Amino acid sequence: MKEKTMPARPLAKKESPPEKVKIRQLPTGVRGLDEILGGGLPEFSFNIIAGAPGCGKTTLAHQIIFANATPQKPALYFTVLGEPAIKMLRYQQQYSFFDPAKLGKAVRFINLSDVLLEKDMGAVLEEIIREVAACAPSIVVVDSFRTVVRKAMGEGTEGQLQGFIQRLALYLTSWEATTFLIGEYSEGELRDNPLFTVCDGLFWLTQNVERNSVVRKLQIMKLRGQDSVPGLHTVRITGDGLQAFSRTLGLVGKKDRPLKRRRLSTGIPELDQMMNGGILEGDSVLIAGPSGTGKSAVATHFLAEGLRNGEAGIAAIFEERPKGYAARANAFGLDLETPQKNGKLEMLYLRPLDLSVDETMQEILDAVKRLDAKRLVIDSLVGFEMALAPGFREDFRESLYRMIAALTGAGVTIFTTVEIEDSFTSFEFSHYTISFLTDDIIRLRYVEIDGQMRKILVVVKMRGGNHSKDIREYVITDKGVVVIGPRQTDYARLTSGLPERIGQVPAEMPPEPKAKR
Amino acid sequence: MPVSTAPKLKQFARRLLEWEAAPGEPADVRETAAFRVCEKLRGPLGKLMGIAGFRSLFSRALTLAGTEVSWLRVLQIKADGSLEGLQELEVQLNSRTADEGEIVLVARLLGLLVTFIGPALTVRLLHDAWPELDDLNF
Repeated sequence: MKEKTMPARPLAKKESPPEKVKIRQLPTGVRGLDEILGGGLPEFSFNIIAGAPGCGKTTLAHQIIFANATPQKPALYFTVLGEPAIKMLRYQQQYSFFDPAKLGKAVRFINLSDVLLEKDMGAVLEEIIREVAACAPSIVVVDSFRTVVRKAMGEGTEGQLQGFIQRLALYLTSWEATTFLIGEYSEGELRDNPLFTVCDGLFWLTQNVERNSVVRKLQIMKLRGQDSVPGLHTVRITGDGLQAFSRTLGLVGKKDRPLKRRRLSTGIPELDQMMNGGILEGDSVLIAGPSGTGKSAVATHFLAEGLRNGEAGIAAIFEERPKGYAARANAFGLDLETPQKNGKLEMLYLRPLDLSVDETMQEILDAVKRLDAKRLVIDSLVGFEMALAPGFREDFRESLYRMIAALTGAGVTIFTTVEIEDSFTSFEFSHYTISFLTDDIIRLRYVEIDGQMRKILVVVKMRGGNHSKDIREYVITDKGVVVIGPRQTDYARLTSGLPERIGQVPAEMPPEPKAKR
Repeated sequence: MPVSTAPKLKQFARRLLEWEAAPGEPADVRETAAFRVCEKLRGPLGKLMGIAGFRSLFSRALTLAGTEVSWLRVLQIKADGSLEGLQELEVQLNSRTADEGEIVLVARLLGLLVTFIGPALTVRLLHDAWPELDDLNF
């Protein structure tokens, strides 16, 4: 018996596997949120916006609908026993994203309160289906879905509720609608809740009071089909609606600093020499010292030198107003006024007491981006921390680390000042234990010499190579910070602040000229 | 002394009433212009606020209008938000008195909308109800 064989098939070209479905992403209309979501809202997803009252659930939903609704693909906003629609419109129109021209055609509000009160959840579902079938919306919102669930639980079993949610999710997805159900939930309700099982996305908003400050946070607890940024993200509600601040500050995947780095002048020639020709571009420099030693003056020199070379700069100042800061620079002969007018310098005065770290960082990052700044001064870390809401202070170091790493990684050179108390027994660099953030550390301190309180500086650390180990005296004159004299060899234990003379006693020197005001 | 309705709102109300007046029909069978205007508003506003929401707003408008035009006080608003008794009552009134009451009633309803949602959104809603009147503006 002849063996049956399969006919030989001609060798086919290697076939590529069928393409995966591409999930289109819709913009949220909320600054920072698209990035947190991993690009935007997955189209046709079934989502829950949950949280306690006052967290911004309704405002978030409104931003989403106004960002996406068109007369051809409208948004349906069903209100159910929640905030009366007339009041919702009254308040929501105060936000800048609210476009009255969209109302009626692109954004349609439908009240289902009567249906729910007079009938049952089946009738609510029928009404939603009828409206959705009539206008094929791109987005559907049910606000508040919690009230529907409460009514349903009062009438039927959990099984019936689950069936209702299943049918609603199925129907709205089949009709190619991206859906948001809004509800007031607490974290304790997360477990064994059919709603949270069915949904594709779960947006959790919280609002906590930390001492006198209010801190709003957003967590994407669940999002099927794409990578969202995990963790809690700060949210602020302003006249523009919600703004979200990603924990990554939107810095993921930014360009790396150039391999070959220039040396940048600090604007103080002797300090440049001590730093082996200047600071390496893209370094983070910490200037530590007690009050009055001239930390801000050193930072101002650094900014002004950049401006002289055509490099835009940002000064994020927390302890002094921009006018005063510029006036002091002017007393040293450094012009910070003209570059501000020319768009080469921005002075950010960030002092409200309930800022979150992330939004402060975002302000700085936005300014750096706006000006394509190459030099950034943060003056000072103590002021920065004080400007934050107490609840954010715990996150300070972590957020600072992320920002500094990302900015220096992109080639921005950062000068950060930090005030420390001089101890006469030790030589601290910072209370913040942030030396891991810094490539270079310049320490300023007072020393008592010959009955005078003088100032010395030393370059403690330079990650990018060798540097002078000299301890140099400096003065602040009408020319700014001027480093004088070679290293002191007549004294020992200068870093203690109480040095011992080991050399000869010099003739008395006249005091240095003071800076003009 | 009741605060009288703003002239602008009255002017606006008059415009809607004139548009809705149907002169071809005999007065005793046709619906009044005010009834038509209110019915046209009941649809979109009922959808927006729910019938209960519309009814409460309309009741407030009627109460306010009644302080200006006393004969309006006998009117009622039904559970579905529609106006009851206007047609029957107007037969007994001269046309000037009837017109004045209608204008005040509609103006008061528009006034409440303007108070709550502002002129821009009110005009937007009216445009949807009367798309033919494209020059409506406060």
